[in-house]
Amino acid sequence: MRTLAVALLFLGAIEAVAADASGFEIADASREAFSRLYNDVTPAMREQGLRGRGLFRASWVIPPAADSAIVGLGPLYNQLSCLSCHPKNGRGQAPDTPEQAMRSMLVRLSVPGKGSRGGPLPVPAYGDQLNEQGIPGVPGEGRVAVSYSEIEVNLAGGESVKLREPHYRFVDLHYGPLPTDVLFSPRVGPPVFGMGLLEAVDEQTLIDLAAKAKPFGIKGRLNRVWDAEKRATVVGRFGLKANVATLKQQIAGAFIGDMGITSPLHPQENCTAAQAACRQVASLQQPELNSERLESVLTYLRLLQVPARRHRDDPVVQTGEKIFAEIGCAVCHVPTLTTGDFPQMPVLSAQTIHPYSDLLLHDMGEGLADGRPDYAAGGRDWRTPPLWGIGLVEAINEHSQFLHDGRARNLTEAVLWHDGEATTSRQAFIDLPPAKREALLAFLRAL
Amino acid sequence: MRLAYVLIVALWSVFVEAKESVTVLTAYPEEVVSHFETAFEQTHPEIDVQILWRMPNDALPYLSQPEQGGVDVYWSASLRTFQALKEQGAWRKLDVTDQGLPTHLGALPLADRDGFYRTTEMAGYGFALNPAYLKKHQLPVPTDWKALADQRYQGHLALPVPSKVGFAPMMIDSVLQQYGWDQGWALLAEIVANAKPVEAGSTFVSDMLGSGERGIAPTIDFFTASAIANGAPLQFSYAQPVAYSPAHIAITQASKHSDAAKQFVAFVLSEAGQKLLFHADIRKLPVRPDVYGAKPADYFDPFAASLAHPVVYDPETALPRLGLNNALFDAMFTEHWSRVQALFERLRQWETRGGDVGKAHMVRALLTTAPISAEQVHDQNLQVLFAKRGGDASMEAKGRQWSEAMHQRYDEAEQLLNAAAQP
Repeated sequence: MRTLAVALLFLGAIEAVAADASGFEIADASREAFSRLYNDVTPAMREQGLRGRGLFRASWVIPPAADSAIVGLGPLYNQLSCLSCHPKNGRGQAPDTPEQAMRSMLVRLSVPGKGSRGGPLPVPAYGDQLNEQGIPGVPGEGRVAVSYSEIEVNLAGGESVKLREPHYRFVDLHYGPLPTDVLFSPRVGPPVFGMGLLEAVDEQTLIDLAAKAKPFGIKGRLNRVWDAEKRATVVGRFGLKANVATLKQQIAGAFIGDMGITSPLHPQENCTAAQAACRQVASLQQPELNSERLESVLTYLRLLQVPARRHRDDPVVQTGEKIFAEIGCAVCHVPTLTTGDFPQMPVLSAQTIHPYSDLLLHDMGEGLADGRPDYAAGGRDWRTPPLWGIGLVEAINEHSQFLHDGRARNLTEAVLWHDGEATTSRQAFIDLPPAKREALLAFLRAL
Repeated sequence: MRLAYVLIVALWSVFVEAKESVTVLTAYPEEVVSHFETAFEQTHPEIDVQILWRMPNDALPYLSQPEQGGVDVYWSASLRTFQALKEQGAWRKLDVTDQGLPTHLGALPLADRDGFYRTTEMAGYGFALNPAYLKKHQLPVPTDWKALADQRYQGHLALPVPSKVGFAPMMIDSVLQQYGWDQGWALLAEIVANAKPVEAGSTFVSDMLGSGERGIAPTIDFFTASAIANGAPLQFSYAQPVAYSPAHIAITQASKHSDAAKQFVAFVLSEAGQKLLFHADIRKLPVRPDVYGAKPADYFDPFAASLAHPVVYDPETALPRLGLNNALFDAMFTEHWSRVQALFERLRQWETRGGDVGKAHMVRALLTTAPISAEQVHDQNLQVLFAKRGGDASMEAKGRQWSEAMHQRYDEAEQLLNAAAQP
């Protein structure tokens, strides 16, 4: 653990900046803006958060190893660190060519039908996610090659935009062909800050948001998912289809799904019956991420602050904000929510937050559909992704890819992929005079 | 759309020949590795890189396994591991083009003399600073270790404990090598008197600097350089002449993908690979002098710096005694930290008041002299004893003996100071 701790020595260096901020919103536009920890907590909680930070940033290792805190990678996995898919706590990106590996992206798998709790049915030989890598002696499951074709969209004022439509090809499959009716959903790692605040929004708020009448043909509905801890069906809010009940379950699911790390919530390694070598690998300890360390990661993510809006006094940004509301973006990308009573971490209670999300599912049309239902979310449904911090992605993550599979190469393309319930808003964006469209984009860049 | 997806899978799900692969074992964090993986893939799309991570002290047993654990390339800042595995015959001779790759930077070797491994990058030691803190306390920027011994820095430093913090043993040893055994320990004692100890797992150095708890921390450069490049309001001052910790790369004898391994090594050492080290999330020092022409503004150039201050620190000669140094540091300081500070404070006050110079020298000698001499530190049996990881009873006994000796010296120093305080 010594090296891990040493590697972390300077990670908190710019927290001095955070000292000027209030609440969970922080005035910071540096490349560490997604990694600020809320400091006004007990020393014990801060220590726990820092331990969680270490685990989140650690590269996990395969046994045998001296440091038992980070042992347990695989046997099958996608990446060896949480940071791989959430670089600098921000957005991953999609490969640009078929030869490039998915370094911060994964592909969910299932076959038609529902499991006993209502979730997707895993593919018998591969499970619910393609793990591209295996530890030595265990073949990885295969790779996904991405290529793109282009679709041209003409905007008012004469501008033309080329959207890239992704096409996926499974290659090097080591455990037999995929079923012909396989359903799959490519996912780029989303930002991880502000998740504690989203967790602290109470369920009734989401129920009310879903019930509220909305203009422009927009609906919005709740996903209902299985809560493995409560042993009950509850409102889902995490995951790109709001398909996970709690942040803790989201974390534990990512550990087992992406890195093959077992935890109290997922005590079994992710090996299918067809994966003999995977099943024969001996574990050093079970679970590999014990309850205390899982709680540390949970505390870390809950304490991550959110970058505040910038350039509020800029008239162009102000114009963009008005257009954002006028053309209906703000109906789903709800600017302001208030967190409820959150006894698990009281500092998250009663916070006014600006996620630009309603955490509801919306039909986004055929263009973005993955065709893979997940609990009550259909193949065209996606949860409204929070937009907070979206204007810093380019500086922090050194790319400007957006949407669930990174197909959009900039914010304009991201807006133009909207369809379904967002058809009216998308058309309004297309019809905007160039200066107003630019103002809207300036507003987004200021988030 | 779902039908379209199904069709795509049906048409395109194929078994194809797997790409050539290379398995790289490293201790570098994701931020470093991901940049090299991505760039290597762009240069060599026919080769798939698999990364395995292992702490430096854990790599030796892993690479000593049958088939060397399936590893093709080892890349890490762990000279000890490279040397130990070389003795086991674990490496192949590197077949790389030397053009543009120097063999030395002053006293620092940049390649194994027998050609089994090469330095890929360096990290330099110096002082991380909080400029606002220095301004507030009207403290000058230190440029060498001697400056930190000045009592005006009392209460303003954070010093990593070498037995606890991975990069610190070489940093502490560089002081001993640069200033000599006796003067080096004397300097370290005065610095300890000014510093708060930093141990892994407790409050981090950066937290201390960022929060304003302390203003200066001796450390290795890239943590701070990367933080600064990411927006941190910090500075870094290199301790001249700079001591460097080198990282190396080697190909395993058991490699089943030696061609791919060679390609990976060549890429890391290439101009393109070396320039990746400039990235804000990496900030290591390339070993190719020619790439510094493309360095970011204010980036440190060790080759240019060595013209004015030639590099004198050789980590290879230091390795055998690092464990011994750590044990001495603990016996002298770590186990008596607050007492050392209290005694120095009294001594400095006494000197300020114009106390007896001779007696002050006696007290200072008691506080700053190592329990063993410069000659004894070359005792191979002693070095081997403290080179063991995890320790054993005889090592612990020796450590206790030194600690007790220091305890008695501190008692003696206290008595002298008490006597001096009598009217």
